[in-house]
Amino acid sequence: MIFDLIQNTFDGLAMGASYALLAVGFTLVFGVLRRVNLSYGPAIMIGCYAATWVSLSFHSNVFALLGITILGSVLAGTYVERLCFAPHRQGSAIAAMVASFALWMQFEEAVTLVMPKHLYDFPPMFDGDPLAFGPLSLRAEALVMLSCALAICFALHRMLYRSRFGLAVRAVIDAPLAAQLAGINVPRVLLLVFLLASGIGGLAGWLIASTHTQVTPMLGMWSTLKGLLAMMIGGLGSLPGAVIGGLALGVLEAHSQWFLGPQARDLIAYLLMFVLLAWWPRWMTTQSAS
Amino acid sequence: MDDYTVSVLTNIGLISFIALSAYLLIIAGEMSFGQQGFFGVGAYTAGVATAMYGVPLPIAAVMAMGAGAAAAFLVGLPTLRLRGLYFAMATLAAAEMLRIVFELIHFQREIDGEPIGPDGTQGFRGIRWVFENGVEPEGFLAMVWGLLFAVVALFLFMERSKLGATLRMLGEDPELARMLGVHVERFKLGVAAAAGALAALGGALYAHHNTYIEPRNFDIMLGVHSLAYALIGGLGTAFGPLLGVLIDIGALEGSRVFHGYRMIVFGGLVAVLLIFRPRGLLDERVVHWLKRRLA
Repeated sequence: MIFDLIQNTFDGLAMGASYALLAVGFTLVFGVLRRVNLSYGPAIMIGCYAATWVSLSFHSNVFALLGITILGSVLAGTYVERLCFAPHRQGSAIAAMVASFALWMQFEEAVTLVMPKHLYDFPPMFDGDPLAFGPLSLRAEALVMLSCALAICFALHRMLYRSRFGLAVRAVIDAPLAAQLAGINVPRVLLLVFLLASGIGGLAGWLIASTHTQVTPMLGMWSTLKGLLAMMIGGLGSLPGAVIGGLALGVLEAHSQWFLGPQARDLIAYLLMFVLLAWWPRWMTTQSAS
Repeated sequence: MDDYTVSVLTNIGLISFIALSAYLLIIAGEMSFGQQGFFGVGAYTAGVATAMYGVPLPIAAVMAMGAGAAAAFLVGLPTLRLRGLYFAMATLAAAEMLRIVFELIHFQREIDGEPIGPDGTQGFRGIRWVFENGVEPEGFLAMVWGLLFAVVALFLFMERSKLGATLRMLGEDPELARMLGVHVERFKLGVAAAAGALAALGGALYAHHNTYIEPRNFDIMLGVHSLAYALIGGLGTAFGPLLGVLIDIGALEGSRVFHGYRMIVFGGLVAVLLIFRPRGLLDERVVHWLKRRLA
């Protein structure tokens, strides 16, 4: 019993590491643009499918696929930013959200047109069994993923507070008009932040696909929803919050699935999101990327 | 009319109900990503009533509207004071919760030796009231469109009245409305309940058109489509959402020209229209111009 509890917590942390990584990219966009990008997951899926196509055609190295996944996600992200976020910069946040959903539909259909099979194999990062700690086991990929999430969180924090670009980003968050007048190219800063988030998403997608050794068209919706949930649990717009929120979501899901089944797992996750939004709105508004 | 045309026209009518429900909330200033949940509540309520308890469809539809209004009221209570994105995400979470609840419902009765009723993810088959009562597909089509015209007439009448003016004022500036003595919270709850009832009516008819429903029918795709229909069709008149549905289901799916590319074409159309016509094709300006022309 106690081993089950600990093993479930381990599994939850392993899953939570991927949620944390997804949430960091999601939060970066939300913290700076104050916009929700529903196409975040589908753009990651484009990157993963591009890498799958390359690996099927050329038998390339699994680490070369990382570059392709990131490139694919960033290209898809550029398309999303140009069509959904740049035009609505001054306008309604909801219009941008609906537009990003419209591109989600495009991505999903494009992927199933080019690669119609329901499931494609993705090469694994490591061969071999999970690491064993006595009766407990943990997959090595989970450790890689968790270290990546922490490293990226740390690097983003350094970038925001120690670099000129970070200074520009913080200026744009606090006072876009003043930043513009001070000579900062605001649209360019926003585009770069968006592409950075897409790149982090691409890394997350590659780690997730090579951990699960498969890609399906569901990856898009899954990534968006898990990233969104983890971001909200961690408090909207906070980077360390995103990592903690992702891990918390993973552990919560692992335990509720063990005790109550998979449907209850999703129900509890959405219930938490609903309750946080409806009864604890201050949790959602006081945080900021800077 | 051949069967395919009748089926496409019926579908256009059915989806128009949920598009109008999204439209009603948008003009009151709220974008809901969760109307599909109430559409589902209506479908399940009416299906259980007719298939399991032998209730006639008109009464079942009224029951469905009641259930949809009650569900929308309960979701609206804690969420309607949230603004913009927060309201959108809270309603999305509520609708996903409803969908999972549909997956958890296993409630069946033995009727003529076969079990009938919602069976979790396996769905709910055998909602055959329309066939058992000898209603032809054309007859059902007439019923759907008759109800839809009644609803649109109600909308047009409302928009000319003081109620419509209050609604649009609420959408433009809730603080101004409050200062002019509108009880904002109570008014918005009423609007949310009405929108829930409207979506549920569509759901009740949808269940009886398809005879089979499953939780997946009521996922986020349906909800965002209904928002998109209202947004591209136009927010100036109740004909706007109908135009949106007509463009997507009528022109893109019905014509089969874009077979396999429908989502790509429709998605691109929505994204581009949101940039150039943020309040849709039939926005307030176009409607005003048309009215002057016609008068």
